[in-house]
Amino acid sequence: MNDPTLIGPCADYEHDLVELHDGALPPERASVVRLHVAQCARCRDWTQAFAALDARLAAELPRPVLTAHFEARLQDRLAALSRPAARGDLNGALEHEHDALLAALRRGARRNALLGAIGWATAMACAFLAARDLLPEMRGALASVPAGTEPWMVFGVVGVAVAIAGLAWSGVRGGLPLPGLVR
Amino acid sequence: MDAGIEQLLAEGRHARAFDLVVPAYKDRVFRLAYSILKDRAAAEDAAQETLVRVWKALPGFDGRAALGTWIYAITRNTCLMELRRRRPTVSFDDPDSTEAQHAAASVATGPAEDPERDNLLRLLETLPHNQQEAVRLFYLEDRSYDAVAEQLGMPLGTVKNLLHRARKRLMELARPDEVKAA
Repeated sequence: MNDPTLIGPCADYEHDLVELHDGALPPERASVVRLHVAQCARCRDWTQAFAALDARLAAELPRPVLTAHFEARLQDRLAALSRPAARGDLNGALEHEHDALLAALRRGARRNALLGAIGWATAMACAFLAARDLLPEMRGALASVPAGTEPWMVFGVVGVAVAIAGLAWSGVRGGLPLPGLVR
Repeated sequence: MDAGIEQLLAEGRHARAFDLVVPAYKDRVFRLAYSILKDRAAAEDAAQETLVRVWKALPGFDGRAALGTWIYAITRNTCLMELRRRRPTVSFDDPDSTEAQHAAASVATGPAEDPERDNLLRLLETLPHNQQEAVRLFYLEDRSYDAVAEQLGMPLGTVKNLLHRARKRLMELARPDEVKAA
């Protein structure tokens, strides 16, 4: 018998023969091809040789399956990836940078509050000294102050009150220069 | 199944969606990886790596491609990276290397005089890689053209052509005596 792999099937039917064997040929075309195969020895032989090869491939090709612990291993890997400590260098670096930024902001807020308080105190001291020089001119304006009260004492009390108010305002805005009170 | 997964993804429930992805795709991802890597352990590792990548990327899945298409593309990329990683390390000095064993066997006997020439698996190894992959996957997927096309990311006609050429060539190679006589 001639070797069908050397002679081959009719060229017009070659692809159809394969698809017919694989069950992928549309029914109407399959009927035509089956009729041809019944009448053509070359195509019949080739089809048989092809079917034999197909059976061997199906039988001899390895069909590996996943090991039983595949999913458990996968879940372990995902759990390890989910842990914050193991999220990788990028996440760790970002968190570190974020923490450093917050610390810098807190330090800046404390410094600003301290400078603000010093500024207010200095301003009050200057105002107090200036007021002392202006006392003679302002005696008339201070006529309502109770007798016996020195005018510079009045300005001193007002200055201290304003300084306290300034510290309080600074504390509300950016935090006082006191540990534990920084927001 | 995919519709349910994609619904969960649309609702932002990525963890629940991934819980459904694993049982639905792990075997197909593994078989695709095996058809490319030709090694069971390497294919299992590649399947693991693929699913980890899917887990990481799932929140960014935009649904422009079908979920399966997306997952198989990740699988193929993972396998190609593995093949690239292997290439420089193939060495005759490593007797356990599959590639080294095959290469050594070819050098020792020569393909034309190999006494195990009728061994179908050896014959398959002589085909171009894309034909080998298509044949392996075709039989792993119970002779489904559609599954092979989807997993390899190829048009159906291309897959049919690959399979046809591969099996026709195998028919010729499987009958060396007659070929020589001719």
